[in-house]
This record gives sequence, structure tokens and C-alpha cells, in this order.
Amino acid sequence: MKPPAASAPVPDPAAAASGRFQSLAAAGKLAKSGLRRLLAAQIARTALRLGFAATAAMSAGPLVMREPVDPWLVAATIALLSAACIAGFAAERAQASAETAVSTGLRELAARRLDEMPARQLQSLSVGSLIVSMQRHPEAVAALVVGHRAASAMMAAGPLLAATALFLVSWQAALLVICLTPVMILFFALVGDAIRRRADAQERAFGRLAGQFADRIRTLPTILANHATETEAAKLTRRLEAYAGNTMGVLRIAFVNAGIIDFFASLSIAILAVFLGLGHLKLAMIPGFSDLALWQSLFILMIAPEYFAPFRRFSEQYHAKAEGLAAAAALDRLLGAEPVVAKTLPALDRLRLTLPAKGLVAVVGPSGSGKSTLLRRLTGLEPGGCAPGLADQIAWVSIDSYVPEGTLAEAVAWNAGAVDRRRLEEVAGAIGLLDDALLPGGLEARLDKGGANLSGGQRLRIAVARAQLSGRAVLADEPTAKLDRETAEAVRRMLLTISRSRLVVAATHDRDLADAADLTVDLTPGDAIEVAA
Amino acid sequence: MNAALQSASRRSWRLATGFAFAALFCGILLGGVSAWLLGSVAIAGLSAAALTFNFHMPAAFIRLFAIGRTAARYGERLAGHKAALTDQVTHRAELFAAMAAAPAVRRAGWQLGDDARLADYLDDVEDLDYARLRAGLPALTLAAGLAVLTAASAILAPLSLLPIILFLLAILFAGNRVAKAGAMAWERARSLHRRGASRLGAAMASAVPLKAEGAWSHECADALAALSRADGELLALRCLQARLDMIGAAFGPVAGIGVMAAAWHAGRQGPDLLLPMLLAFSWLALGEAVNGGSRMLVAVLRGNAARTEIGQWTEIAATVRRGCARDEVEPPLLRHGALQRRAPDGRAIGTTISVLLARGQPTVLVGASGSGKTSLLKQIAGWIGDDAFAAGDRILSATDRRAQAALVLHDAVILEDIVRANLFAGNVPDAVLWRALEAVEMDERIREAGGLDAWIRQDRFSLGEVQRINLARAWLSTKPLMLLDEPTEHLDDGQGQRILERLMGHLSDRIIVISSHRASSLRGRTIELQP
Repeated sequence: MKPPAASAPVPDPAAAASGRFQSLAAAGKLAKSGLRRLLAAQIARTALRLGFAATAAMSAGPLVMREPVDPWLVAATIALLSAACIAGFAAERAQASAETAVSTGLRELAARRLDEMPARQLQSLSVGSLIVSMQRHPEAVAALVVGHRAASAMMAAGPLLAATALFLVSWQAALLVICLTPVMILFFALVGDAIRRRADAQERAFGRLAGQFADRIRTLPTILANHATETEAAKLTRRLEAYAGNTMGVLRIAFVNAGIIDFFASLSIAILAVFLGLGHLKLAMIPGFSDLALWQSLFILMIAPEYFAPFRRFSEQYHAKAEGLAAAAALDRLLGAEPVVAKTLPALDRLRLTLPAKGLVAVVGPSGSGKSTLLRRLTGLEPGGCAPGLADQIAWVSIDSYVPEGTLAEAVAWNAGAVDRRRLEEVAGAIGLLDDALLPGGLEARLDKGGANLSGGQRLRIAVARAQLSGRAVLADEPTAKLDRETAEAVRRMLLTISRSRLVVAATHDRDLADAADLTVDLTPGDAIEVAA
Repeated sequence: MNAALQSASRRSWRLATGFAFAALFCGILLGGVSAWLLGSVAIAGLSAAALTFNFHMPAAFIRLFAIGRTAARYGERLAGHKAALTDQVTHRAELFAAMAAAPAVRRAGWQLGDDARLADYLDDVEDLDYARLRAGLPALTLAAGLAVLTAASAILAPLSLLPIILFLLAILFAGNRVAKAGAMAWERARSLHRRGASRLGAAMASAVPLKAEGAWSHECADALAALSRADGELLALRCLQARLDMIGAAFGPVAGIGVMAAAWHAGRQGPDLLLPMLLAFSWLALGEAVNGGSRMLVAVLRGNAARTEIGQWTEIAATVRRGCARDEVEPPLLRHGALQRRAPDGRAIGTTISVLLARGQPTVLVGASGSGKTSLLKQIAGWIGDDAFAAGDRILSATDRRAQAALVLHDAVILEDIVRANLFAGNVPDAVLWRALEAVEMDERIREAGGLDAWIRQDRFSLGEVQRINLARAWLSTKPLMLLDEPTEHLDDGQGQRILERLMGHLSDRIIVISSHRASSLRGRTIELQP
């Protein structure tokens, strides 16, 4: 019942220094002030509710016993009730904003991390899991370090406050509920163990069936293409049924947990009501339960459930804990992955290039000889400079160039500085983007998110047009591969035009482009790297 | 769909509802009767009545209520989840069938093949699965409890109806606001969520160019900021919820105080106040159940949003008439004199072309990336467009061809299942399956993985291996029309050539169309596509 050891923010300077990402520790730090506010509000709410219970009992008891009731007490009851509700509101808000602050902060940290990450390592990440991770995991970690931690802290503070209140009226009653607690916790531990064993057994036996629905939705086109819709549907129903049946097996035990809290909360009310009743009847002399005024026994009756409420709230959080820990582990794994080691290219390391201020430089050589690596080194994306650094502003042309969502005009002008419309039209026309049958609508054609409705050739032409407009030095990675003849020719022409005023470095397999170069760097292994004008 | 499942679900819901009512009433009476007992004995204790007071009866009831509440709550949870899980099986099976009929599946780029979109979709499905358990059932029992206690208050202390009704109106008003503003906030959060995800995806796909141009930080931060803004919208929703819960938390106690005050005002005193006190403590107990009120509302609005979202997939499917396909004849020849090529969204591409596909004479579609090869294959397969091809003296509609074509997609995937199921060959002898795996040079790899009954997943295989398993499916297909989309993609040249030659030999009695982005050495008719 203690806060999980794994979630405690243990500062580990050694791990931090080695560059690992520790989302839990970071989240713990981000949550600190919010958590304090949240706990303050929750403690205030509990204390105010106890005050309400006390004043309500003090007003109702004498009323039934035909004794005078102080009108101020009634006013205090209502005031305390309102204050308790407002404190509850404040607590909910504090929890929500603290969790949002943590998830936002975690995302900012992740952004910084992705910023520092070398391009090669970034490429090695799975895009899908990175997106899922950035969407969901910060939230789950936030729920763990704020909601779950507050609930576990309240499990100490809440019962303590309730027991103190009981103590003021009857220390024996306080002792009774306190004595019930270890018994309850013992049951908890036993059941918790049984749940874990059962869940593990189920995971072993049926873990494979857990994601079947998701998997069949993911693979629908393949299923359709293989004419397997009917067989898969029948199989899916069978598997879902089997899985549901076994989930029930685990739930049957898991719900015992909540049942135990219910049982002890109900039991404490029943025991107290009977003891207190016997005391009032003066039929049995039970120390601490006799000679009490009615308001006192009503008070005890109202406080007892408050004593158990924090346990219930904590047990409702067990999902938050499991999900939060899994999310934190996933974030750490993703953002703290070991750097991908680049293939060693000793020939490239020896290369010293002097790049001209303008003209076309072709980098040629078979696949894997380091053409792309050379381009990356030139921009400083990878360590190992082999030429005096290019101006920091360059334009990159490749088939995976970035295409923002919007119109074609916006995509071409993106990140290219201020561009006037006529020039835009001229360049887009020269590269053949305007008479493209697959993309009707000219400059106003809509592009889907991430350029999903574009072919590789169209993306590349957008990148070339942008490079022309940007006025920067151009690095081009295989600018003519995978293009049809005419488009390749248009791209070659535009790169040559650009090279008349600026530097263009192109890694290419394309003979025609290489032949037009002012300078050729041949990375073919075996010989020394050949630089020819 | 399944009658047995349906009746099981009905039974479980009935049981869950019964348990829920029992739990609520036991809880209410446990508080109420205990308070009543204490008041009664306190008054009796003042006189000789103490000796004749029947203490055991109410004490036994209190124990009964305590045990009853615990047991009924356990039963409610169990039966409720059983009902929800039973519904889930039916619902998901139906959803799968409906999704399979959605035209979007046959278009380019299956959106739910993407992890992030699939995760969102599954959230929606789950919101729908559990809407009844999270909102319907608790709302029903709560309403019943409210009705009973309100009626009792009207009888015992009519004046107390004033604060009760005022508060109920306030809750309804606030609830209405939460429902409306909350639905909007949820919608905004979803769209921000999606926008952030797609921007992040686009940035990741262009990581190298963006980093090289120094634009990465900005794009990445923007994408993540959209995700955080979505969290901000959810924060707004939670604040609305907190306001509703604040009023809800005050409701039970206020009703209790109201009952006591109204009874006292009506002149009841001493023992006459015992029943109102029972009622007041019952209101306190019911107040605990109102506390989760905002969560029910959110479950409803999330369920509604999910229904709309999922409906977008399946509604289109419902409007598509599924014609009955005839597949008795195996056409030796397929011809279309003037085929208007279409993009997946139905737009016409280029001028019309003439297509003649013949058995034993493979047709090769050649063209640069983006020239529409996959689209043309899908058009021939009847996946997109509504063209009729001539097969001798018969006309084969798109639906007919869909039944006769094996479309070997270049982006086909591995199902999380055993190898045998992944080959889609039905009941054929193991030797035939092994022969197919040998032909695509995957036999060693599958033997390593554990044979035909080994459980496999996509992420255990390289792209080339996935492609080869996909070609094994083609090998095993019995369809007369074989359409292979970039069959040698992800394979090295030598291996691709070997496997393709074997495959062509094996399938020589079918109509074959192959697309390839490079001019291939394959013998056969070539159709060159220009964008």
C-alpha cells in the first residue's frame, strides 16, 4: 500500500549524465508544485467534510432528543458543507491542471530530446510508435505522478484525519476502525497476489488473443485481397469470445479487491451501529460506546465511511499505476535509445574537399559507398567534416522533402523566404508542376497532410522549385531517381540553372547529371577517392 | 447476429441491473436505518422502554444491509462487465464485417494500417463498447434512487422538495452545459490530437531534409504543441466536470438538511423526527452515488463522438450494394477497348488506354513512381471504378472481377496468427504449403520460426520476408486473375528474378498482370504508363 518504489523520483546523476531519458524523474519534478496544491486542497476537503459531519450530527442529535439547537450550528453546517464542496472543486481543478502541466512539460522535454537526436537515429525510430507515444504517454505518466501519487498520499492523510476526529469523541471507536485496517490490508495483499498470478497465467495462455480485433482491422486490405473476410470474421468471433471468457476469470478475482473495501466500510458501520445502540439502551456496558450523547454516536456513524473512502479511491487508481509505469518505460526506451552507429567509411574520413562557391558538384559511386553520408556530413548532420562548413542555410532536395499541408503554392514557398506570386508561378511552371494531370488545380491544388496525395516525383519537383526560390546552396540526394524521363530532364535542367549562381551538390546515380557537373567526387571503393573537375 | 450471445447479453444486463438496484438500496438503507436505530435507542434509553425495545430485529437488518451491499456491488461489477464483454464480442464482430465492406479499404493507403490512427480508432470502439456500463446502468439506478427518495420526502416533509428540486434543476442546468460545451471541447481535442499526430508523422518522414535545413525544431515543436493544446481542451472539459461535481457533492447533504429542517418546521419533534432522520441519512448515502455524475455524462458524450466517427467508416459501406458475383467460368481473355484510368478517389487520369489481358501471356505495367500502376491494377481487380471488361462473349463487372482476382498488394502485411492462417490457402496438405514457401525461399526462415503452426507477427520479419510470404500467398491462390503489384520490391535483384520466374511458371495457366517501376526483363506484353 506504499507508493510504488519504481515511481519515486530518485535522482540518479550517473544515469542522467549518460544521456538516458528518465521520464518518471522528470515528471516528478514537473509535478511537484501542482501535487502540493492538490494535496492541500484534498486535505482541506477531508477536514471540512469531517467538520460538516460533526456540526450536522450536533444539530440533528439534540433535535431528536428535544433539546435546544444553537441556530449558529445549523449555519456552520451549511457553511462547512459549501466550503467542503468548493475545496473538492479546487482539488479536481488542481489535479487536472497539474496533470496537464506535467504532460505538456514532458512533451517539451521530448521535443528537446528529438532536437538533439542525430538524423540517423531519428530515422531509426518507428514513426507510428513515436506518434502514439507523444500523444498518449505523457498523459499516462502525468496521471501516475499526480493522481496516483496524491491518492496514495491521501491514503495516509485521510484515515489519519478521520481517526483523529473519532478519537475526539470516543477513542475506543477510533481504535476499532484502526484495528480493522491491518486486517483489510492483509486481505488486500493476499488478493493482490492472487490477481497477479491469475493475470500472468491468462497473459501466457491468451495474451495472443488480446490484440486480435485491432490486428484484423489493421490488416483488412490484405484479408480482402486474399478473399478471407468470411473465415477471418468467424475466427475473430471465436477468439473474441474466448478472450472475453478469460477476461471474466481475471475480473472475478480483481473485483474482490474493491469488494474487500466495501465489506470493511459496510462492516464498520454495522458494528459501530450495533455497539452504539447497545450503549444507548444501557443493556451492555461497552467501554467507549456507553454514555454517549446521540450526536456523538451519529458523528461516529458518519465518520466511519470517510475513514475508508481514501482506500477506495486508491484502489480505483490501479489502472493509472500500471499504465503510467508502462508509458514511462516506453518513453524512456524511445527517447533514450542508444545512438545508431554509422557504418564506418574510412575513405570518407580521409576526404578533404574544397567546395566552390558556385557550380554543380556530383557525388557518384555505387550504393553504400557513402554518397548520402557525405551530404549529411556537409550539413553537419553527422560528425566528421570533410569540407569547410557550408553556409548554415541550405536547401535540401530529396524524395522525402517536407511538404506541409495546404495549397501547392504554400508548399513550394514553404521555408523559402518571401516569394512573390509571379516568380512562384514561373518556377513551378518551369519544373512542370502546373500541367500535372495527377494534381489538377495549379498552384491552388490542395495537398493532403504530409503530401499523401503526391507521388515521389511531385514531391521532388516541389523541393527543387523551393530550392530555386530560396536562394541558398543546394544539397540534392538522388534528385532524379524514380522519376520518368521528362521529369528527370526538367529536374536536371533546373539544378543546372541554379548551379550557375550557387553551389549545388548532388549525390546521384544519374550519368547525365554527373556528366554535366563542374566537379565530380567518385566514392567508388578500392581506389582513392577521385575528385575530378 | 448470434442468438446465443444476444440472449446471454440480455440475461447479464438484467442481472447487472438487479444487482445495481440491490446495491444502491442496501447502501441507502444501511445509512438510514443505522441512524434511525441510534435515534430510537437513544430515546428509549431515557425511559423504561429500554427493557422492552426490540433491538435484535433492526440490528439484524443492518447486518443484512451491510453484507447485501458488499455482495450486490460485487455482483453488479461482475454481471455488468460480463454483459459489456458479451456485447463487445457481438459489436466488434459486426464492426469487422462492416469495415470489410467499406470502400476505403480498397483505396490507396489504408489509414488504419497506421499505428496512431489505429489507436484512436480502438479508443472509439472501446468508448462505444463501455458506454452502457459506464453511463446507462449507473444513470438508471441513480434515477430510481432519486425517484424513491423524492417521493418519500414529499410524503414526510413536503417543504423539503423546494431545495431538492432547486438543486436538481441546478444539476440539470450544469449537466446540460457540460454536455454541450464538453462535446465541443472533446471534438476540438480530437481534431487537435489528429492534427498534431499527422504533423509529427510528416516531420518524421522528412527528418533528414528538415534537420539539414534547420527547420526541424520548429516543425517538431509545433506538432507537439498541437498535442499539448489537445490536452488543454481536455483540461477545460475536466474543469467543467469539476463544477458539476461540486454541485453534485452538495446535493445529498443539502437534501438531508432540507428534510430535517422541513420536518422540524412542520412541528415534528422528538420521536416524530426519527423517520425524517432515516430519510436524511438515506439522502446522504445517495449523495455518494451522485458524485460520479459527471463521469457518466462524459461517457455519454464520448460514446456519441465515437459513434459518429466509426459511422463515417461503416455508413458508406451500408450504401454500397453488394452485388452477387458469378464465378463459374474462368475467362481465358479480358479486354477493354477504351479504359479510362482512375485515381483511387475516382478522378480520371490521362487518356483512355486499350487493355488486352490473356492467359499464358503476362502483361507488365511499367511506369515511374506515381504513374498510377497500383491504381490500374486495382481497377482491373474491380477494387476501384465500375468498369466492365469483356471476357469472350460475357461481360465481367467490377464485382465479378473482384471475386475472380487475386490482388497481390505491394503493401500487404502479416496477420498476427499462425503461419498457416497467413497463407490463406484453406485446407490444403502441408506439403503444398511447404512447396510454396520453398518457391519463395522462405522455407528455412519459417522452419526456424517453428513451422506452419508457429504464431507470427509483422515486426518479426523484414520487409523482404513479408514480401516473400505475400508471394507465397500468390503461389497458393486458385484465382484465375493474378495481379501482382511490384512483386520484387524489397528483394535483391537476383532473388527477385528467381522467385518471379518460378511464380510465373507455376501460374502459367492464369491471366497475369505485373506492375514494376523499372523496365523488367520479363517476357510479355508491356503497357507503359505516363502520369
